[in-house]
Amino acid sequence: MSPVIRILARRFGISLIVLVGVSMLIFAIARIIPGDPARIALGPNATAEQVAAIRAEMHLDEGILAQYGYFVRDVLRGDLGTSLYTNRPVTFDIRQFLPATLELVILAGILMVGIGLPLGILAARYRGRWPDHLIRVLTLLTVSAPSFVWAVILMLIFAFYLPLFPVAGRLSDSYDITRVTGFLTVDTILAGNWGAFVDALHHLILPSVALALSGIGQAARLTRANMVETYDKPYIEMAQAYGFFPSRIARSYAFKPSLIPSLTIIGLDFAAMLGNAFLVEAVFAWPGLSRYGVAVILRKDLNAIMGTVLVIALTFIVVNIVVDLLIAFLNPRIRHSTRGAAS
Amino acid sequence: MTALLDIRDLRLGFRTLAGQIDVLHGIDLAIRAGEQVALVGESGSGKSVTARIILGLLQETRSARVSGRVGFDGRDVMMMSPKERAALRGIEMSMIFQDPTSSLNPTFTIERQFAEVMRRPDRKLTRAACRERAARMLDEVSIPDTGRVLDAYPFQLSGGMNQRVMIAMALANNPKLLLADEPGTALDVSVQAQTLDLMRDLVTRHGTSVLFISHNMGVVREFADRIYVIYRGRIVEEGPTPAVFADPGHAYTRALLKAVPRITGRGLPDVPEVSDDFFDPMVRHGGTS
Amino acid sequence: MIRSLRIISASPLSLIGLILVAVIVLAAIFAPLLAPFPTHNGSVVDFAFANQAPSARNWFGTDLVGRDIFSRILYAYRISLVLGVVVLAIAVPIGTLVGLFAGYMGGWTEAVLMRIVDVFLSIPPLVLAIAVLGVLEPTLTNAMIAVTVMWWPWYARLVYAIARSEREEGYVLAAEVIGAPTRHIALREILPNCWPAIITKMTLDMGFVIIIASSLSFLGLGVQPPTPDLGSMVAEGARYLPDSWWMTVFPGLAILAAVFGFNLLGDGLREVLGVQE
Repeated sequence: MSPVIRILARRFGISLIVLVGVSMLIFAIARIIPGDPARIALGPNATAEQVAAIRAEMHLDEGILAQYGYFVRDVLRGDLGTSLYTNRPVTFDIRQFLPATLELVILAGILMVGIGLPLGILAARYRGRWPDHLIRVLTLLTVSAPSFVWAVILMLIFAFYLPLFPVAGRLSDSYDITRVTGFLTVDTILAGNWGAFVDALHHLILPSVALALSGIGQAARLTRANMVETYDKPYIEMAQAYGFFPSRIARSYAFKPSLIPSLTIIGLDFAAMLGNAFLVEAVFAWPGLSRYGVAVILRKDLNAIMGTVLVIALTFIVVNIVVDLLIAFLNPRIRHSTRGAAS
Repeated sequence: MTALLDIRDLRLGFRTLAGQIDVLHGIDLAIRAGEQVALVGESGSGKSVTARIILGLLQETRSARVSGRVGFDGRDVMMMSPKERAALRGIEMSMIFQDPTSSLNPTFTIERQFAEVMRRPDRKLTRAACRERAARMLDEVSIPDTGRVLDAYPFQLSGGMNQRVMIAMALANNPKLLLADEPGTALDVSVQAQTLDLMRDLVTRHGTSVLFISHNMGVVREFADRIYVIYRGRIVEEGPTPAVFADPGHAYTRALLKAVPRITGRGLPDVPEVSDDFFDPMVRHGGTS
Repeated sequence: MIRSLRIISASPLSLIGLILVAVIVLAAIFAPLLAPFPTHNGSVVDFAFANQAPSARNWFGTDLVGRDIFSRILYAYRISLVLGVVVLAIAVPIGTLVGLFAGYMGGWTEAVLMRIVDVFLSIPPLVLAIAVLGVLEPTLTNAMIAVTVMWWPWYARLVYAIARSEREEGYVLAAEVIGAPTRHIALREILPNCWPAIITKMTLDMGFVIIIASSLSFLGLGVQPPTPDLGSMVAEGARYLPDSWWMTVFPGLAILAAVFGFNLLGDGLREVLGVQE
């Protein structure tokens, strides 16, 4: 069996265990709710009969294990129940709102890697000198405020004082794009509407920068730390002894080997943006999953809460599997774990 | 005959928070073309930093204070710009390190590492040409299955194999001077002896000058034409290998020689603590330099 | 301790961090004495001074009902700091014990404990806290519970990694050979090696707890009005951008200053204690 497949199999095994655990955790959270879930779902004006009916529907009169069994069975069927807030199936709502959030998170992830890693490389190459100090202070600043603070500050400066970007929303009202994937950047291209695509991207920039800022700082700091450690390795001195350019040493000799330990954390930070998207979406009136999430939470809409958390956890797990695959691909030790020529 | 490497009054100090720490107190050392010279001393005596000054690496460390003359092929390395020094490295001079496996980039195949080295003088070298020349170099260090080794990563090869790869790589651009810093000390004694034999054959054939840095008088005896003994930043004895072994003039050299039988390959020589006569003036076996 | 202080003060950035943290902690403790309008801590209204831009009377301006924003920030710091201390005081011992025993004992203990930790770590931290608060009432106590629930696994993972590598060390083997009980080895031999990493992480985490707690109240899931909280102040003011900018910018900068201080200090500690990232 190839080592990559072995790692994948192990990873899937662990993910499966974790998923079962997550479902139990979510189920447990839903059951610590004080009071009668049926009564909460229906509100104070419901009759005793209505409450009894809902209790039966939610299997609330059966044992806790049986309730968990029903929950798992429904989830496996792709049935997350009906949202009491929108009166629609939770899966429908999630499909409606998830793409907007993912679009934001993916662009923020690209910014995190695209800006954070080069900054980290720069700091490590000039470690102990002024570029390093400057980058250290800047990145420490970006990780020191929650994304909603950055969102507010960016909005104030780049949308109000210098009206370079739109204040809110995903698309200007003048465009009407047929929904295909839910990703506006994709749908506008599918519609062949170039102007709308630029407009969608224009709307995306400020929120995704706000969301990415602390991730950029984290990625840069992590890259710097791992690279500085790598700079002490003998093969760096050997590269210097061969007269390679410092920029080449930084990229191929110090950065590449140090990327592997950084990746796991960068993956976690990327996935954590799913949570922080809640904050940025609130500031920019972004019609994504989090506005739905906050709305259903304030209404104690149990099915919708459980469904939202489950989908986010699933996305998180998928991201981690992808990161593990990437590591297996980048690390020759895993790719070729058989010994080659003998001594 | 003029020397290829001609070091005069080399001094080195490090600035620290607690003031300057002097490491080299004025060293003179010369190597002629094609000559194999050993610099022997304990760890901390200043032998490794000497190699790094010749390469021009220490001059770029901000805390290091270097002075003196490092003549190489008629030019003074000390007077060169960092760029000029970098241009020498890997082309005119190259270096072999103590631990072969950790001195090779873990994320590159052997072939790629060869290509990086061979493209130093000629950036347009094709992949095929690199591979062909690398295979020839590996052949020279008696590596049998060259194709498989070229495709391997360092961690897939044994330490002895990586050591040969590193020797082949160091000589790939036919440098005038090879600096060998405790080569193979991290390896098994018998493997170390084997690869050193190989290295000696190879440098003799290529006419490469070698500065061989070691703490082990036993290893040096097999390898070097001439020996410098260094103690705490000062050269204490210099002469042709047979002369130094036959008639060690300095107390410290005698102590090093006594320690030889107990050396197990990895350990440091079991030399007595500081002794007053270790600071005696330098002993020079005349007639050779 | 004095030596550590001296090393920290040798690095200007860490010194700034130390001063920032000290100023903020003192300001929070002495808020009733320092605040120009101590009563604005609660639901006071003073419409005569509502929605005022920063001035000599109100350094950071006033909010919609005329309360002094500077005074409210001082009181909000109290809530943030208390919340941070309480969360860490509960989460750190739990996480440390779980990580310690999982790392040292290995086998089934390790497998079970660390899979539980994985479960908690596979929900983004903020989402987990939001979910817990979603089913509980949004109060200060419940916010503390929610943040604690998401926090302990990170310490479990940190300590686990250290304990696992220490397990093979000579001094641990020596203790095992002389028959020292498991509990003794874990707590007396291995735990002391984890302290530098734990203390560094706690300092950095004071900042992160402030971020998470303010995020929860920003979403309306944390401390409820009229109690002043940095997150809910930003949320409230965001509705009146750009005209009443001071209502959001100053509470936002207050969060930034506190977290930045803890981060600078944590960075300095990392160097003093020799902890790797």
